[in-house]
Amino acid sequence: MAHQAHAFHMVDPSPWPLTGAVGALLLTSGTAIWFHFHSITLATLGLILTILTMYQWWRDIIREGTFQGHHTPPVQKGLRYGMILFITSEVFFFAGFFWAFYHSSLAPTPELGGCWPPTGITTLDPFEVPLLNTAVLLASGVTVTWAHHSLMEGERKQAIQSLTLTILLGFYFTFLQGMEYYEAPFTIADGVYGSTFFVATGFHGLHVIIGSTFLAVCLLRQVLYHFTSSHHFGFEAAAWYWHFVDVVWLFLYVSIYWWGS
Amino acid sequence: MYYKVSGVTGKLTGATPAAYAPQGLRATVPTEPTPMIFAAPTKVVSEKTAPVDYMGVNKVPELQKMFQKSDGIPVHLKRGVMDKLLYRTTMGLTIGGTLYCLMALYIAAQPRKPE
Repeated sequence: MAHQAHAFHMVDPSPWPLTGAVGALLLTSGTAIWFHFHSITLATLGLILTILTMYQWWRDIIREGTFQGHHTPPVQKGLRYGMILFITSEVFFFAGFFWAFYHSSLAPTPELGGCWPPTGITTLDPFEVPLLNTAVLLASGVTVTWAHHSLMEGERKQAIQSLTLTILLGFYFTFLQGMEYYEAPFTIADGVYGSTFFVATGFHGLHVIIGSTFLAVCLLRQVLYHFTSSHHFGFEAAAWYWHFVDVVWLFLYVSIYWWGS
Repeated sequence: MYYKVSGVTGKLTGATPAAYAPQGLRATVPTEPTPMIFAAPTKVVSEKTAPVDYMGVNKVPELQKMFQKSDGIPVHLKRGVMDKLLYRTTMGLTIGGTLYCLMALYIAAQPRKPE
């Protein structure tokens, strides 16, 4: 580590790929055992192991980047490409659900009554809570940009405040979606409308929760002085992810909530 | 002394004479940027006693020193006892969990007993 002649990061041997793989094995096998034998022991074990792996692996990446200085400019470039590819794969993940939705809604089958929304489905009003949700997510896109500029200008206090505001807006969105789900006049079992609606918006909601967690980790790291005005890729990755979640919502809102109702 | 208005904050910041000679014409004055003096917001007396560090002190330099110590310990154990404890718990769950999982899958693979 002391005298290498190149800028790339030679990682220490790590146990986390192994523990993560076993965590995934226990989680999947545990789910099968749960469904067949009503025992959640193995699934719980898998969940704990996966969470322990996630915590320690990401903790080590912070140690390598912030404390050991391994995230040199060429390494950061690799991290950037990695995050871009990851978000691209997420785009295709959601493209699948939009495909299912448009496949079902553009040529509704006779079983649905030949119309969309299908006969018997009462949809949510897109100009009530869903419109508020759109405003909340757009506002959070503004506050995360405010946080980024504060970080670049070295405005520590403003960065902390704007990032906190972004996370609070994320929680508010999740809360409103929870209320909508609770009050929805249809369920996931109500034919293809319910399936496409809840699978698409449900996975989006999961991504909002993941994005809020990512931003919360960034807030903690900002409070702990991990970010400098020129080196804060962890935050930028979280901001990219947040914008991605925001854009997916705009498509969901326009397609499913508005046009689809 | 040269200043320019920052496009982002809207405040005055120190600048090099380049800001006054955008075509690259050589200025006849030193190119050292002037330290910024009055761009900071005015502090009233009551605020001046507030601690310099907003929300805690910066411990990053100490941690950098600690994690950059050349002692051959891998990064996941470098912080000491707590690291070791977490690592051993995780590894124990990994080994124990694998055995338990194989056993559970073996039992699940047995044919159902006729009732």
